[in-house]
Amino acid sequence: MNVATDWALPLVWAQQSELDSIPWLKWIIVLAVVFFGIFPGIVAYMVWGERKVAGRFQDRIGPNRVGPFGLLQPIADAIKLITKEDIVPRTADQWVHLLAPVMILVSAFLVLPVIPFGLGLAAVNPPSGLIYLIAVSSISALGIFLAGWSSRNKYSLLGAMRAVAQLVSYEVPQVMSVIPVILWTGSLSMVAIFDRQVEYGWFIFSPPGLLAFILLTIANIAEVNRTPFDLPEAESEIIAGYHTEYSGMRFGLFFLAEYLSVFAVSCLGTAVFLGGGTLPWPFTGEPVVTLGSGQGLLSLILVNLPLIGIFMAKVGLYVFLMFWIRCTLPRLRVDQLMSFAWKVMVPLSIINVFIAALWYEFVFRPGRPNYLLGWGVTAPLVLISVIVVLSIYKAQMKADLAASPTSRRRIATAN
Amino acid sequence: MNQILFGVIATLGVLAALGTVLARNLVHAALFLVAFFFLVACQFVMLEAEFLAAVQVLVYIGAVAIILMFGIMLTRNIQGDDTTTVSKAGFISGGLAAAGLLAVLVFGILDDEGRTGRAGWRDVTTRPAVYPVAARASAEQTKAVNNMGFVVGRELLTRYLIPFEVAGVLLTAALVGAIALAVQDGPSTDDPAERAKKAAEHTAAAETEPQLTSA
Repeated sequence: MNVATDWALPLVWAQQSELDSIPWLKWIIVLAVVFFGIFPGIVAYMVWGERKVAGRFQDRIGPNRVGPFGLLQPIADAIKLITKEDIVPRTADQWVHLLAPVMILVSAFLVLPVIPFGLGLAAVNPPSGLIYLIAVSSISALGIFLAGWSSRNKYSLLGAMRAVAQLVSYEVPQVMSVIPVILWTGSLSMVAIFDRQVEYGWFIFSPPGLLAFILLTIANIAEVNRTPFDLPEAESEIIAGYHTEYSGMRFGLFFLAEYLSVFAVSCLGTAVFLGGGTLPWPFTGEPVVTLGSGQGLLSLILVNLPLIGIFMAKVGLYVFLMFWIRCTLPRLRVDQLMSFAWKVMVPLSIINVFIAALWYEFVFRPGRPNYLLGWGVTAPLVLISVIVVLSIYKAQMKADLAASPTSRRRIATAN
Repeated sequence: MNQILFGVIATLGVLAALGTVLARNLVHAALFLVAFFFLVACQFVMLEAEFLAAVQVLVYIGAVAIILMFGIMLTRNIQGDDTTTVSKAGFISGGLAAAGLLAVLVFGILDDEGRTGRAGWRDVTTRPAVYPVAARASAEQTKAVNNMGFVVGRELLTRYLIPFEVAGVLLTAALVGAIALAVQDGPSTDDPAERAKKAAEHTAAAETEPQLTSA
């Protein structure tokens, strides 16, 4: 038995057929163990992991005082947050101030039930799972706005304004970049998307899929407000942005929600483009199909433990990528942020839908997929469109700079 | 069970709608509106249209409500006073308009004749169960429930292509109009004297503009 995948056992137990006679028992197990136990636990150790990774990137050691390797640090932090005094500013709008962090947290939690962690391990499988996922994750923008507005603090309000502008702008490329997947699957169900990738290989292994994955990753980082897109909470400019006035466990809720949504968007990227729990080389789908058709508990566990392990490994890599980007890149300027979304990402994702349709014609429509021809036609198209869009963007930026006042030009050339 | 759920959701929906109209604080009113949108999405789920429910949340809560809030944030007076209280004349005319709309809707729905070969709405007292019984439901019905995104997309691009495209043109026109209103023309200049003049104009304009928030 694998330590890394032990946490998923209750999920597997919940699928047991003997429990089907009491439908609500499955929900209690899923809710109590997975949603209140495991996911917050993952978040706690993600924070620890980020501090360790960031420490190494900055030539430090990171947390190492509480427990071996600082492993008890998240627990100490949680106790600190819970025992701290909960201060609400007198002029704040009490109810909205209370509601805002809850809204963000609920939105982060609601994303997770549709993720297919393994075979039959999506807590629910609605036929429009992908749209549902995008819809509930868009609620968090509202929570952030309410948090900033209800605090009655100019820094909070500034952070909220930046957050809303950023989240609304980057939601467009986020949605557009998963259109190729919907096109190739012919369904919005997350489980159907997983099955399709078991059959045809990961979606990232195609030129339009690769471009879509990169676009989705950038949009994901922007959606969860992490560096280089952390303008809404830019510490050096507006204190802490929309959660400046939150303290104690209410701040803890923001913290939990932020890392939970990092986990959620990593799961989204993994499930949609990286083939879920399957391995990259061909024929790994076979044992999944064969063993999964058995109904026994043993075959379920045998199939699902490696699936979940590989899934979590991929999610871990994706999260590490986000930490890596965070430690490497500086924050964007506001104008760069907006023009990048609307002038680079949106056009590219629109073009990519058409290239994805070509890939569909070569690979998915004919009975026998013609990967070679597909690559030959779509790869140059993707390359050309990326180069054209980026060069137009650069030329425009240059023209903007030339037309701008001298003071700004001096700042720009000094960098 | 369905009846009880419908009753609860409908009651909450009406309360949220009332809250939207009666709240004295614009942000609270917008929040009630968000709750109302959410309850409409719940109603769609009750009608087996969970694709529509997801789109409702995505479009109305994720986009429309956010833009609305953004607009409210930039208005000068969020609480009370002339922005949220209605004058008597406004109350009467608004009430008349609302009653007229209600009358049009009620008579329109009650006089519905139904498409050829089908009964009108007023004659339908039952609707299919939440999970269509396989034996009774036609293949088309089952598909419409199980893969609604597919069915909606196909209908939009075949039978409803013209309305769909017209709506798209309309939205594009609105977008262009909004940009035309928002963009101030006149190139930025390098001439210091002219820039100083512009800055002075700007500050003068800012002084006449009302303050951002009240509280």
